[in-house]
Amino acid sequence: MSTTAILQPGEIEPPVGEIPFLYIPARDSVFRERAVRLRALAQGHVMQEFLLFMADLTDAQHAALAVLAQVPLPSAAQTALGREHGMPPLSVQSWPRDAAWQKALAQIIVHVMKTATPTATRILQRLQAMDSAALETFATEILAGNFDDMDLGAAPFVAAALQVYWTHLSTALGTRAFAAGDIVNLCPVCASPPVSSVVRIGGAENALRYLCCSVCNAQWHMVRVKCSNCESTAGISYFMIAGTSGAVKAEACEACGTYLKIMHMDKDQYVDPVADDLATLALDLMMDESGQLRSGPNLFLISTSTLAA
Amino acid sequence: MQVTRRQFFKLCGAGLGSSSLAMLGFSATEALAEIRSFKLERATETRNTCPYCSVGCGILMYSLGDKAKNAKSTIIHIEGDPDHPVNRGTLCPKGAGLLDFVHSASRLQYPEVREAGTDEWKRISWDEAFTRIATHMKNDRDQNFIAKNADGLTVNRWLSTGFLAASASSNESGYLTHKIVRSWGMLAFDNQARV
Repeated sequence: MSTTAILQPGEIEPPVGEIPFLYIPARDSVFRERAVRLRALAQGHVMQEFLLFMADLTDAQHAALAVLAQVPLPSAAQTALGREHGMPPLSVQSWPRDAAWQKALAQIIVHVMKTATPTATRILQRLQAMDSAALETFATEILAGNFDDMDLGAAPFVAAALQVYWTHLSTALGTRAFAAGDIVNLCPVCASPPVSSVVRIGGAENALRYLCCSVCNAQWHMVRVKCSNCESTAGISYFMIAGTSGAVKAEACEACGTYLKIMHMDKDQYVDPVADDLATLALDLMMDESGQLRSGPNLFLISTSTLAA
Repeated sequence: MQVTRRQFFKLCGAGLGSSSLAMLGFSATEALAEIRSFKLERATETRNTCPYCSVGCGILMYSLGDKAKNAKSTIIHIEGDPDHPVNRGTLCPKGAGLLDFVHSASRLQYPEVREAGTDEWKRISWDEAFTRIATHMKNDRDQNFIAKNADGLTVNRWLSTGFLAASASSNESGYLTHKIVRSWGMLAFDNQARV
């Protein structure tokens, strides 16, 4: 007679383990790969020149991040407190940002000046002439999402430098420093709204959806088929432009009337939350025509018509 | 500190002219002209539970269609729900074949009855079906209900009918099924673990 081993509680391995709550892209490739993606998307695109310039701006971000100076990070006690209370420890609204971001801005300006159009060059010179205090005020307005009365032409460059600084912070601390926050549609690292979301492939993240931060590039898990703005699970629809691969869709919610783009890596493994969002402006325009509002900004393409409710 | 949880962004044709794109000297004219030839396609994803067995795997069902009153939406794909704690996106061969089950030509879609002495299935309405089942159950219970046993103890048993419930029920439907079936006095009661 054969004997069968009886498994005790805890001996049965879960098939795929825990859902990784946070995904932070690699510091040395996040901007470089985004620039590559922007150049690939620019081929034959109606907004080719714009996308190529944004690729140059992203290259400048990559170079600035590589040489960013040592800046103060939150202490272990501060991140532990954040985890305990579900508060983002590096909130863009309250973290005392180091002036190192202004140095990154100066480098970015020099970098993109090489390929800038005459119009853009004038904007860059205007930025170079601004003093430190004015730049801090500008940064605060961008991070708060107050785009009205803003120098919109200059905003993407300031935002780019802020992204470099906050990407440095998120990648320096690593995923274990953070925990899920109380507000699911704000970044658990820096409390910014998402630019878009990505359904990832491979490993423990396979087929799971992550919201992508518009500032620090962290990606946090959010259950699929659920509105990333109001958390409704009823009346969620997916809109895409007929004839495209379906790698980028707009996830729209009937309950709150907003949408955010969702990108599928299983349809195109190279999708980038920022680059593909810019390249699918047509989808935004068509969603707007059907009366729906975007629930998260792309800081490389800002428009004044921001509505706070 | 200003709480900006509810903040919306309008990216529209009219706004593009004053957007950062235009301020930097790029033109949005072509992008705006391009969308005239585009068409939006709508799809839906719906979360559900696999009906086959008591494991209760989560599934995502994809359907096409614009949900307009006279347009019929069709399920085009079914896959495991990657967020579901039970199956984390996986499905067994039966679950993976659910799409064929949904679209099967021989799928039972309405109540049918085969009367005693015939070999023919006849379509009936849901009302008729419920009435027939209820009548059969009531007659059987009236005839065979055991209120007291031989010792005169109250037992309230109904042993001549059994109840088999579905495998993929929610907690709530499981609770209601149990309450109703046990209130009738029925003892033979089980949930089908797998089909």
